Amino acid sequence: MGIISHRSGEIDVLLQGNEAIARGALEAGVLFCAGYPGNPSSEIIETLIEASKELPIYVEWSVNEKVALEAATAASFSGCRALVSMKQNGVNVISDFLIHLTLSGIKGGLVLVTCDDPSGVSSINEEDARAFAPLAEIPLLEPSTPQEALDMTRWAFELSEQIGNVVMVRSLTRISHTRTNVKINDLPDFETTPRFDTNAPFHTFPVVEKHKKRQKKLDQAMEMFETSSFNRYKGPTEPELLIIGSGCARSYATEAVEILGLRERVGILHLGTTWPLPKDLATRHLRASERVLFAEDVDPFIENSVKALAADLGNELGTKEFFGKASGHIPSTGETSPALLLEVLGEIFHISWKNSFYREKIAALIGDATPPREFGFCPGCPHRGSYYAIKTALAWDDRDGFVSGDIGCYTLGIFPTGFSQVKSVHAMGSGLGLASGFGKLEKFGFDQPVVTVCGDSTFFHSGFPALVNAKFNDSDILLLILDNSATAMTGFQPHPGTGTNAIGDRVEPIDIEAVCRSLGVDVISADPYDTEETARIIYDLIKRTGPRVLVLRRKCALVQGREGGFPYKMRVDQERCKGEECGCGRYCTRIFRCPGLIWDEPVQKAKVDEVICVGCGICATVCPHSAIIREEK
Amino acid sequence: MTVSPNPEGQSRLIEEIIDKGICVRCGACVGLCPYFHFFDGKVVVMDRCDADTWNCLQLCPRANPEGDILNESGGIGSYKTVTMARATDKEIRETSQYGGTVSSIIISGLQSDQIGSAVLTDRGGATSPEGRLARNRKDVLDCAGSRYSASGSLSILNGCIKDGEDRIAMVGVPCQMEALARMRELMPDGEERYGRVSLKIGLFCTWALDYRQLDAFLKKEGVKDPVNKFDIPPPPSEVFRVQTQGKWRDFPLSQIRPFVQKGCSFCQDMTAQEADLSVGTVEGIEGWNTVVLRTDKGAEIFNEAIEEGWLETQAFPEDNLEHLKEAAQNKRERGKKSIIKGVRGQAWE
Ligand SMILES: Cc1cc2nc3c(=O)[nH]c(=O)nc-3n(C[C@H](O)[C@H](O)[C@H](O)COP(=O)(O)OP(=O)(O)OC[C@H]3O[C@@H](n4cnc5c(N)ncnc54)[C@H](O)[C@@H]3O)c2cc1C
Ligand code: SF4
Ligand code: SF4
Repeated sequence: MGIISHRSGEIDVLLQGNEAIARGALEAGVLFCAGYPGNPSSEIIETLIEASKELPIYVEWSVNEKVALEAATAASFSGCRALVSMKQNGVNVISDFLIHLTLSGIKGGLVLVTCDDPSGVSSINEEDARAFAPLAEIPLLEPSTPQEALDMTRWAFELSEQIGNVVMVRSLTRISHTRTNVKINDLPDFETTPRFDTNAPFHTFPVVEKHKKRQKKLDQAMEMFETSSFNRYKGPTEPELLIIGSGCARSYATEAVEILGLRERVGILHLGTTWPLPKDLATRHLRASERVLFAEDVDPFIENSVKALAADLGNELGTKEFFGKASGHIPSTGETSPALLLEVLGEIFHISWKNSFYREKIAALIGDATPPREFGFCPGCPHRGSYYAIKTALAWDDRDGFVSGDIGCYTLGIFPTGFSQVKSVHAMGSGLGLASGFGKLEKFGFDQPVVTVCGDSTFFHSGFPALVNAKFNDSDILLLILDNSATAMTGFQPHPGTGTNAIGDRVEPIDIEAVCRSLGVDVISADPYDTEETARIIYDLIKRTGPRVLVLRRKCALVQGREGGFPYKMRVDQERCKGEECGCGRYCTRIFRCPGLIWDEPVQKAKVDEVICVGCGICATVCPHSAIIREEK
Repeated sequence: MTVSPNPEGQSRLIEEIIDKGICVRCGACVGLCPYFHFFDGKVVVMDRCDADTWNCLQLCPRANPEGDILNESGGIGSYKTVTMARATDKEIRETSQYGGTVSSIIISGLQSDQIGSAVLTDRGGATSPEGRLARNRKDVLDCAGSRYSASGSLSILNGCIKDGEDRIAMVGVPCQMEALARMRELMPDGEERYGRVSLKIGLFCTWALDYRQLDAFLKKEGVKDPVNKFDIPPPPSEVFRVQTQGKWRDFPLSQIRPFVQKGCSFCQDMTAQEADLSVGTVEGIEGWNTVVLRTDKGAEIFNEAIEEGWLETQAFPEDNLEHLKEAAQNKRERGKKSIIKGVRGQAWE
């Protein structure tokens, strides 16, 4: 039995933040869990999938986040506890349903977990999903450690049921992916039988009444927050500086206060329940200090609500000095760090500290073990072949064509690894919508060819409606579906096209080509490893009109590596290689850029890095002098 | 021919020739490296090269206009004799453009083993006509007839030199012959490469068309089937003729002229003076070719084709020769004017 499904608790176990969230949900007796993969949130559902093998719960990867919330809500409406998890962008996707759902309210505890990714370490954007809590008028909890992540998630279900509305839990990359000792508790019996009470329907009418009710629920939550043990104060009764913080930034502030020896002068109000702001608690602390620093990641969320409160109580509290995002002390972009908090506190208290403190600490631990690396496709990656073919076709066409990109590994097409063909990337599925618009500009004189690319998972997530739109409006859209049989970027979760679902059941795979054909859209397929032939097909498709789909199909190199590997052993015939000379100009290492090909400095020729090269063989067709030789393994 | 080397590389070729739209798609710069392709009637830039030795700019017949002005010869250039010829073989006569002289010489040369292969221009299909390496009679007949758009066929020559091909015959328009001369003088291994080309047959040329524009025009005009044959009968007819499935359709030349390649206006050579022998039509005498024999090599292979019974000849009418020289001289004057206008005005457009 896995530790996550361990029935009796009261023990310390080593857990990752996301596992702690999953355990918290299990300890609350969650019955229905759904989500859409996306770093840094994916391990929550993955952990619950493991648990579902031993516990009577249901877990699914849904087709997108909105459907995940809708599906989970069904369980809640039927009186069961349910959890949905996603990364920050996913909250945008659910927002439409969420804002309606929170008007109707819910029944069984329904917890929405968002894992925000400040700095966009593995994201296409930087976003503070907390903004949706005030918008949807729902309570928000912010753990700052894996232990809190567990405890808060468990309690969030209770809170949700007490007020009859969704509760949001916001984690961060550094919490979700931190591993530490966490105390777990007993698991309950999981004995609920779902039943929908037809006498108590869920809808948003009468709208204004429901809106009032939603705000009452918030007031109720605020009252509970006033005394919540998730909010703690540490420091002198009348500190020279009050830090109000949440999440990682709060932990960094604590560390900085210690290092700078400010424990006697600075107080830290650790807020775990950040929306609605517990006003009495905050007021008490504001009275005690003239200066306030806000420590939080991304938006000035706590900062703004505290400032609003201070304005309301202006007569009583007088003017305070605030340090935070508005004052420029804490940047409102990029993630916070211990070094940042050290710097800010050092500045406020005029203490100089050694700027290289953390850098030296890191260097002592890992040395120079991490070489600098640019974003790049893996060796053998079919996307390299796909973009090479696209690049070739667009160059042949010679009308300054470009790619309208989407979200997946293939987003890297904006970088040299994808020959910088992608000129636009936004939300999931948006590349198709944009292309459907570009495809209607011809009559105004637009003659640049636009190719849009989309992975199979993204197609099912939200690309499909845009393709329907293109068909409906007869747009000249050329969609390349990059089918690598995996949701590779987020860790190979199954999707509707793979033939298995989250819990490993065999299900009938949904055939994208058949879906497109059923829309009356022409579909053909090609092999991204055969770049020349694929380029010809793309060139030909560019010249046609109406919606067209080309499926470029090859397994993700990592999957292929696991399933038998690649056929070739590669080498460079250095006699034939022309290197820097006219006629080559380091074409393979400078333009094609597979990491398997490297520059042999002493002889000034290319060579194959045998450790990195997987032997896909694409590069053999790319060398202008046939110097890259492939031999059957 | 005066040839002066050019000191800068790919960027200059792109900026001054390709981006300005004056590339004549001869194909000289294609097939030597991965950075240019000839595709569907156009020379396109695939990637930017950063090599600090280069050939592309050196070879380009459009890249050195001042040098060309210094060109000393006039009219049809230097030659031994001008004569009239046509094929004796019925099939060649039927498939070829006029008298089938070019196809006959190639077939004769291949059969007598004087040449090993020939770089010709195919009829195109899904994409534009392009160069093709012909090795036998069938290949030659598949390529017979004139396509009035440039085929970039020097790219095929570059490719087969790289592959080790020897004793190659090159059939091409005057700018292609000029590029060959540049290759010989300016490429580091120019003599060696030039040595692989054992025969250069030049085609007379007034201008060539931009394939993509022509193709779009013909499609718009409802010409859907593959074109078997094009013709531009000599003045004063002023028509462009297109044959599909055995039927001719005529378009006024004024509709076609807008598609003439911009770069052709700088060209001063109508009769391919750098070739071993040059071939064109004969004004007023249907089914025959004008043949200008220039070098010993050209005369030798031409005479052999006659001896082997592939060709028959007739004396070239004196009036025609005068007229031909006049027409060729006119093209020189027009080209010079355009160059001076272009270079002095610092603008090629
Ligand atoms: C673009 C162009 C413009 C021309 N303009 C004139 C002109 O103004 N006056 C004139 O008298 N003659 C002109 N000619 C030449 C003429 O059309 C005939 O090609 C020539 O008379 C030879 O005739 P033939 O019967 O021997 O040809 P064929 O025996 O049919 O042989 C013609 C050869 O030319 C090759 N060829 C076809 N198209 C091209 C091309 N685009 N580029 C390179 N090679 C090609 C073919 O592969 C074939 O081998 C022009 C030719 C071209 C290609
Ligand atoms: S075979 Fe070539 S393209 Fe494939 S992984 Fe090796 S070096 Fe890269
Ligand atoms: S004219 Fe010839 S050499 Fe010059 S750019 Fe065009 S194809 Fe290349």
